[in-house]
Amino acid sequence: MKARVAVLVFPGTNSEEETRDLLVDCGADARIVHWSEAASLVYYDAFVLPGGFAYEDRIRAGAIAAHDAMLDAVIEGAQAGKYVMGICNGAQILLEAGLAPGTGEIRRPTAAFTRNAQGHFICERVLLRRTVAATRCAIVAALPDDLLIPAWAAHGEGRLAAAPSHIEELEKGDFIVFRYADADGKTDAHLAPQGSALGAAAITNREGNVLAIMPHPERDAWNFNHLDRSEGADPLAPSGGSVLFKSFVTALERL
Amino acid sequence: MSTRCSSSNFRRGPSLRDLAVAELDDEALRARADALGLALRVDELRSIAQRLGRAPSLVELYAFDAQWSEHCSYKSSRALLGRLPTEGRDVVLGPAEDAGILHLGEHEGERYGIVIAHESHNHPSQVVPFEGAATGIGGIVRDVLCMGAEVVAVADPLRFGSVDAANAHQRAVARGVVDGVAAYGNAIGVPNLAGDCYFDGEFDDNVLVNVVALGLVKESEIIHSRVPRNGENFVLLLVGKATDASGFGGASFSSVALDAKESQSNKGAVQVPDPFLKNVIMRASYRVFSFLRERGIEVGFKDLGAGGIMGCSAELCSAGGFGAEVDLDTVNVAVDHLLPEVIAVGETQERLLWALPEEIVDEVERIYNEEFSLPQVAQNARAVRIGRATAAQRYQLRHRGELVMDVPIDFLTGSVRDTLPVEAPMPPTMHRKHDLLCERSLDDLFHEILAHRDVCSRAPLYRHYDAVVRGRTVIPRGEADAGVLAPIRGSRLAFALSVDGNPRIGRLDPQRAAEHAVYESVRNVVTVGAEPIGLTDCLNYGSPRDARQYGELVAGVDGLARAARGFGLAFVSGNVSLYNAAPSGHAIPASPIVACLGRLADVSQCVTLPLKEVGSHLYLVGETQRALGGSVIASILALEDEAVPEIDIERIVAEHRFLLAAASEGLLRSAHDISDGGLFVTLAEMSFGCLAARRAPIGVELDGVAGWSGVGLYESVFGEWGGIVVEVAQRDVERFEELAGSLESVRELGSTIAQPLLAFDDSAWEIADLHRSWARPLEELFP
Repeated sequence: MKARVAVLVFPGTNSEEETRDLLVDCGADARIVHWSEAASLVYYDAFVLPGGFAYEDRIRAGAIAAHDAMLDAVIEGAQAGKYVMGICNGAQILLEAGLAPGTGEIRRPTAAFTRNAQGHFICERVLLRRTVAATRCAIVAALPDDLLIPAWAAHGEGRLAAAPSHIEELEKGDFIVFRYADADGKTDAHLAPQGSALGAAAITNREGNVLAIMPHPERDAWNFNHLDRSEGADPLAPSGGSVLFKSFVTALERL
Repeated sequence: MSTRCSSSNFRRGPSLRDLAVAELDDEALRARADALGLALRVDELRSIAQRLGRAPSLVELYAFDAQWSEHCSYKSSRALLGRLPTEGRDVVLGPAEDAGILHLGEHEGERYGIVIAHESHNHPSQVVPFEGAATGIGGIVRDVLCMGAEVVAVADPLRFGSVDAANAHQRAVARGVVDGVAAYGNAIGVPNLAGDCYFDGEFDDNVLVNVVALGLVKESEIIHSRVPRNGENFVLLLVGKATDASGFGGASFSSVALDAKESQSNKGAVQVPDPFLKNVIMRASYRVFSFLRERGIEVGFKDLGAGGIMGCSAELCSAGGFGAEVDLDTVNVAVDHLLPEVIAVGETQERLLWALPEEIVDEVERIYNEEFSLPQVAQNARAVRIGRATAAQRYQLRHRGELVMDVPIDFLTGSVRDTLPVEAPMPPTMHRKHDLLCERSLDDLFHEILAHRDVCSRAPLYRHYDAVVRGRTVIPRGEADAGVLAPIRGSRLAFALSVDGNPRIGRLDPQRAAEHAVYESVRNVVTVGAEPIGLTDCLNYGSPRDARQYGELVAGVDGLARAARGFGLAFVSGNVSLYNAAPSGHAIPASPIVACLGRLADVSQCVTLPLKEVGSHLYLVGETQRALGGSVIASILALEDEAVPEIDIERIVAEHRFLLAAASEGLLRSAHDISDGGLFVTLAEMSFGCLAARRAPIGVELDGVAGWSGVGLYESVFGEWGGIVVEVAQRDVERFEELAGSLESVRELGSTIAQPLLAFDDSAWEIADLHRSWARPLEELFP
């Protein structure tokens, strides 16, 4: 029996289809759940919040969506141990909802992905490396150490920001699951294209069942997305960033 | 049939104001028309009054003002456009509706088409750059959506003025336009796949913002922009944003030259974008499409653009052979007490119009208003019934229970045509007998060309755009000569898109500028290994009332026609943007901008730009020429009356056929065409590609000019005579040359080397140094 994964769509979400498609190709029974179907969310084993501009990024990216009825089900699920992954705008929503890093109260964010250092949207290729132990976050547990994961940074608000004391807490508590890396796998704060604190690309919560990741692995996830790296291979086969989705599905199957 | 409208069925009332055309002499009539902001000419005003047999109402006048504007009627260009080829093997739908459709291929027994539309939003972008550019994307996306297609990509050819540090206004316009394109396209979640950008002081008074959108549709599920044959009494269902006072007079505003003094009042004619609402409308419409598929019902769907509710409903119904009646009181409005002419012809954004049989209207309304909750997404946005298609061949508008417009629909939407005096352009024909003598050193010129605004990296601009949303992008901007996208899940079918047009050529030789625009867009598509299947055009010119400027348009259309026929391609969609001139009368350079769509049967055969391996052979496919007209080096050295390079289409078609065969056999490791800046720039960019791919740069050793060129040194390495450079691995050389057969224009240029150098004769440039000159220049404009 395949794990049932809900891909949430808020007004303004724009990456639901490729996110659903990649989850399906990685072995999940993934369905798009629209904001008018919030009641059905309780029947799902896991939640993925895809990219976009939910509620037009009013106030702050993710701020309104964090108070949407769909988040009630996500929060309840996360607290019951269900796996939750937010990508880009989805990550912003999880921070606004207080699910990641989860060091404060629900819907009282202690950190945010906020305005890029350059002050505008950027779209460029990035490499990510896991910088915590495999056991720290179940969603990424199946990834081999030191693997470089290709993804696209495509956001206007992807710079992790928090009070200095919180940043220290995130560093000490191994909340920073992925950092931006160079081709040699070196991670360094200056490699974050938007100036994210600690060079952070993704953060988890204390329990490790929530992942808020800013760049898009699902946009460099099939061989046809990077022909120069996948010569000769079946262009339609998952590769590259799909390893993160495979790890997510593997974690669900282990439950 | 009587065209007179007796006053008995045209009731008069307090809400109705008329213009007593017959009672005014020409001068007084012109003055009244100007006071009312009508662009209609006096003779047009008189013909309207005569045809109606009475004093036309203001609502009627504003309606004709929009419908008969250049923007809607193409009255100066329609006759010319008949010269363009519009039919061909891959044409599913030619230029008749909101967008054209080309056949992409078959997957699991279904025929798939690519919907393509191409427009300009020049005047709005000059006045309010952010909103003007954003609504340009918003409008072109609706043109594709209303064909029943899923929108899969956009592109944005841009022409800015001089953006030197001193020119603060032009810099602000350029930034505003890029921010507007980014804000809209990124939010609706459609990748920006292609585009180009030139800077030229001649665009200071009139920037060009062209937009292209592509959609995917099953050919069996195309929705047409007309009421179907059985459509009598079909309900007209308006969908989208609440109508407000924005965009009133937009169509006629875009059909006159801009006057700086009026820039404030002109702002009222620009629409306000809402990409957030559009994102939801698109997804709701996709849901409606699948509902219609289940029910197998034929309907009409059209985007509201120029002329607003009136223009859209009139064209939707008349295209199906029907009249229309619309009740303006049923329209969902954002503010009360809007004048009837504002509701009727205002160009509020994010609206579309369905023509549906009564039995399915409730369900379509439910999808928009409840399932996708439009009224909660934006203030009073919704789907509402506003009228119906009628057998009577009249167009009728009611407001407050009164008939405020009642005209023969064919008179309103029928084609008006102007015949205008033409003065043919005189392009330079000087052909130098000797090679260029130049005291500037190669090194010095090479770096200046790499840093030239028309040559340097565009990354600082396009990194503002989401190139990869939807996850189907194969080649984003900057990684090859054309953008490539695989639109169908589970299929290897892919398409390539390139948009081109060189203003440096446009100012010299309008006809050849058009030919080169076609050639370069086709060349770029071939360079990534895709077979060209069709074209669109946007003709950006000055005033048709100026014989010389009109002559440039005529020459441009002839150039497009000649080149397209030569390549065996058709134009399936297009747009004409005239009056791109300053009040002084000074016009922009002739700017025909062409988009070429290509097909890849198997996405894995697509060819990218970065050099792949050391020890490969580099070949030039193409012929060098001495002519430097329109090249970057000519502008740097201020070379006057140089002829523009010729295009030997027959030879080029053979070269392209050969290259596509080589690509399909996997013989091309990398490829890049020769355009702005010439061959040295092409080779340098192929080497830079390695850096972008995070690989150590592969260098190039170029053989002496004598081996591959019949012209002088500078013409050979900096000339812009077209052609394509390809990388062929040692193991494939034999097969490659066998395939080239008797083609004379295939010559070995040099080879790839392990050292990060571009080596030529006794000079050698560090790739890293060249990259420094090329990568940075636009960063100060787009930080």
